[in-house]
Amino acid sequence: MGIKMKLIPGFKLIISVLTLILVQYSYASEDQCFNCHRDLEDNPSKLFVEDVHYKVGLSCSSCHGGNSNSDDMELAMNKSAGFIGVPSLNKISEACSKCHSDAVFMKKYNKNILTGQFEKLKTSVHGKLSVNGRGMMLQCTTCHNAHGIKKVTDSRSPVYPTNVPATCNKCHGDASFMQSYNPSLSVDQLTKYRTSVHGILNAKGNTKTAECASCHGSHDIFSAKDVRSKVYKLNIPNTCSQCHSNKDYMKDFPIPTDQFEKYQKSVHGVAVFEKQDLSAPVCNDCHGNHAATPPGIESISKVCGSCHALNAELFSASPHKKAFDEKKYPECETCHGNHEILIAKDKLIGVEEGAICLKCHAEDKNQKGYRVAKIMRSQIDSLMSLDIVAKNLIFQAEQKGMDVEEIKFKLREIHQARLETRTIVHSFNEAKFKEVTNKGFKASEMAITEAKASIDEFYFRRYGLVVALALITFLIVIIFLYIRKIEKTKSV
Amino acid sequence: MDQIGSNKPEKKDRRDFLKFLLSLGLTGFGVATIYPVISFLKPPKQAEVEVNSVVAGKLDDIKTGESKIIRFGNKPVIIIHTEDDKFRALSATCTHLDCTVQYKKDEKIIWCACHNGKYDLYGKNISGPPPRPLDKFKVVIKNDELIVSKEA
Amino acid sequence: MKNQTKKFYDWVDSRVQLGDLVAFMSKKYVPVHSRSIWYYFGGVSLFFFIIQVVTGILLLFYYKGSSDLAYESIRFIMSKVQFGWLIRSMHSWSANLFILSVFIHMFSVYFEKSYRKPREMTWISGMFMFVLALAFGFSGYLLPWNELAYFATKVGTDIVGAVPVVGEPLKYFLRGGDDVTGATLSRFFGFHVALFPGIFTFLLMLHLLLVQRQGMSEPMHLKIIAKAEKKTMPFFPNFMLRDLLLWLIVLNVLAILAVFFPAELGLKADPLASAPAGIQPEWYFLFMFQTLKFLPAHVWFIEGEVLGILLFGLAGLLWLLVPVWDRKSSRGQQNRWINYIGIFSVLFIIILTIIGWVLK
Repeated sequence: MGIKMKLIPGFKLIISVLTLILVQYSYASEDQCFNCHRDLEDNPSKLFVEDVHYKVGLSCSSCHGGNSNSDDMELAMNKSAGFIGVPSLNKISEACSKCHSDAVFMKKYNKNILTGQFEKLKTSVHGKLSVNGRGMMLQCTTCHNAHGIKKVTDSRSPVYPTNVPATCNKCHGDASFMQSYNPSLSVDQLTKYRTSVHGILNAKGNTKTAECASCHGSHDIFSAKDVRSKVYKLNIPNTCSQCHSNKDYMKDFPIPTDQFEKYQKSVHGVAVFEKQDLSAPVCNDCHGNHAATPPGIESISKVCGSCHALNAELFSASPHKKAFDEKKYPECETCHGNHEILIAKDKLIGVEEGAICLKCHAEDKNQKGYRVAKIMRSQIDSLMSLDIVAKNLIFQAEQKGMDVEEIKFKLREIHQARLETRTIVHSFNEAKFKEVTNKGFKASEMAITEAKASIDEFYFRRYGLVVALALITFLIVIIFLYIRKIEKTKSV
Repeated sequence: MDQIGSNKPEKKDRRDFLKFLLSLGLTGFGVATIYPVISFLKPPKQAEVEVNSVVAGKLDDIKTGESKIIRFGNKPVIIIHTEDDKFRALSATCTHLDCTVQYKKDEKIIWCACHNGKYDLYGKNISGPPPRPLDKFKVVIKNDELIVSKEA
Repeated sequence: MKNQTKKFYDWVDSRVQLGDLVAFMSKKYVPVHSRSIWYYFGGVSLFFFIIQVVTGILLLFYYKGSSDLAYESIRFIMSKVQFGWLIRSMHSWSANLFILSVFIHMFSVYFEKSYRKPREMTWISGMFMFVLALAFGFSGYLLPWNELAYFATKVGTDIVGAVPVVGEPLKYFLRGGDDVTGATLSRFFGFHVALFPGIFTFLLMLHLLLVQRQGMSEPMHLKIIAKAEKKTMPFFPNFMLRDLLLWLIVLNVLAILAVFFPAELGLKADPLASAPAGIQPEWYFLFMFQTLKFLPAHVWFIEGEVLGILLFGLAGLLWLLVPVWDRKSSRGQQNRWINYIGIFSVLFIIILTIIGWVLK
């Protein structure tokens, strides 16, 4: 009993190895389809030798159907034996999905293999009907080839990282082809990509840098306007951070990995993640998408200026432009930072603690800027306090039950002037700055005068009441005396 | 005054004086009540309440290619007389941070000075930070007058 | 000057015999006793009504009764029109005080049993005016077209809709449609400034005519005193001057209230907005509103709310017809039950109003 127990596992192993060899051999030799077609030296059979499916022992009939055991063409390629010939359109992908959508079956070959690619493809943008209207735009074979299918880790595979760009470009670089699907989509993505850091490394054979599928996905590609897309505006930071925030992954590259963390805290990140504001910039709005690269020192103001146009324009005309360029200071970034751009507070300007101007300007160094910064700050401060005074007075008047709707209208102008100071400050020009603040001073003066008048009106009502009460009370007293008088007369 | 001082026809005088005071009191009362009423009836500076529609002025007030900002309730509205001789009225409050927008004749856009937000003449946000288009108002021309009203 | 006045008086007198009227009024005497004070509340109510008419007419100069302009026109009155705030605040305060003084007037008449023969018609005309006064308040409350008024009207007309049989059509009629809309505002405006004042003026004339014709009612306990010992006061000028004195004091109070607690406007009604918390009717409907809230959803087989409305209707009807079923008082006998019912009613109204106020 004991001996038998020991023997059996060893025996089983031998048997199974033998069977495997036998089966492999018999498939190779007994696959009559392949035998015949190899003799014909046709292309499919030539390619199939290198195919991953051939290597695991699948036969032609696995995809094309028919009876691979028979060498009689009539019998082997008979419809009654399930022969489907050359599948067309969706039949192609359906043939692949017979196995690739079957998780149980696929696990036999590789327990990590993914399934369900066909389902993903069907819902993706490529799963929509092609121009002929009879099948999906893409079939599995469009990217993976038909008879010479390699593993994705095989550098000969068209979907191997360094090959992906060329594969996608087959269609996406063909203007006349893309014209029939999306005429407004550009076809220069590959050209741009090759200028990017990603593209250059990829061309050098680096498989870790991003290629098309890294950002767009593989089977589940959606239009960038689709909220499910990995490159939908609000999803981009997460997509980029999958690699760029991964310290292990990025260890071969000499760049920091905290951009996402910083960005999340920035005014832009808050706008994107908390307010779902689609107009706020995500990674690609500054770095570019296909030609992703950090903006150069002198071009920062142009990049930021694509949204903050006025600030950039004012800056470019300001004396700082030349000074920054000479000293190689990155333009906007010097004061505002890059990924962690916080809301610009008034305290950034001026000569007190926390003011950025102090970095270069001091009472004894670059004095002119020091003086202007001081003036600008004091103007901003007084505008702010006037705003508060006006608001307080209006609040008081409102509390007293006065109608202040119209004065509140004036508050808009103060508000606007205060906002405009934030912009005009980038001119770093005292006269231009004062033009804006004067507008605010004038508006606040008017608002304060009117609010005061409204409060005066409140007291006028009280005094008016006193006068009216006095007059009426006087009459009351007289009537009272009169009544007493006539009644006295009567009783007398 | 003398009458009070004299003692002989005291009663009659006092009565007359009381009557005098009574008429004085009545007059005072009349003033105290009539004054507010008369003031109330005096037509106010702004002739009547105008909120759902506002008379923006005469047709000739805004020349072709010019614009004007009017008050609509407590909000500003910009009226533009376009080159093709049409009138458009849009809310003049920038949808970004509530600044008041203006018409830029050379670029044929509506422009916000605060952050360079741009809108086309239909109020659609076309560039810069504005997240939404400007609200539209209706312009009707009646007897050579421009009347701006809320879109139904 | 004096001659001129005399001449004018003679001119009119020779045509309409004013002398008769003066003689009639000066021969009319008002009884003087410990409860004479209650006589004045009729006059005070009249004064408030006059104020309502005057300020109401003034407000009509600027008010616009349509859903898109009502709120704005009142804001216009409050901010742009000189003394507009005063006129509106007076109108609003005087409306509330009018109802208060009418309440007092009604209960004083009730407790004195002054409705007894021969003054049944005076009582009934007064009761109709009381109902109209409440209707004035209800319709006027909506006219500023603010949030609170809008929802209070919605709730109020809903309660009307709960009345069996006639409720639904009545609600539809009041609202001028299925819901409270601009159409409701238009008809409430019509009720408030044309229909109700018309009916009210007619009833008031009748009421005053009856009072003048029949004189003031004396409390029942004075009957036993001999006629010679009774203290009286001529209606004209003594009583009228006292009336005038009180009116002026009331006017002072009104002016103080209007200046220190001006009428508020709140937010414009938005039919699509959800109802704000603490929707309440005006204080004089509060006791009824609160009672309906306290009633259980179902009493026996009838809905609580319907039951409440029916009970209030029945109570109102009995109250209106008190001169008919209180035969004892008319015969000059004591009727304690009337006092008990009256005290119960007063306590009920006061307590539930306070509860409603506190539970806000």
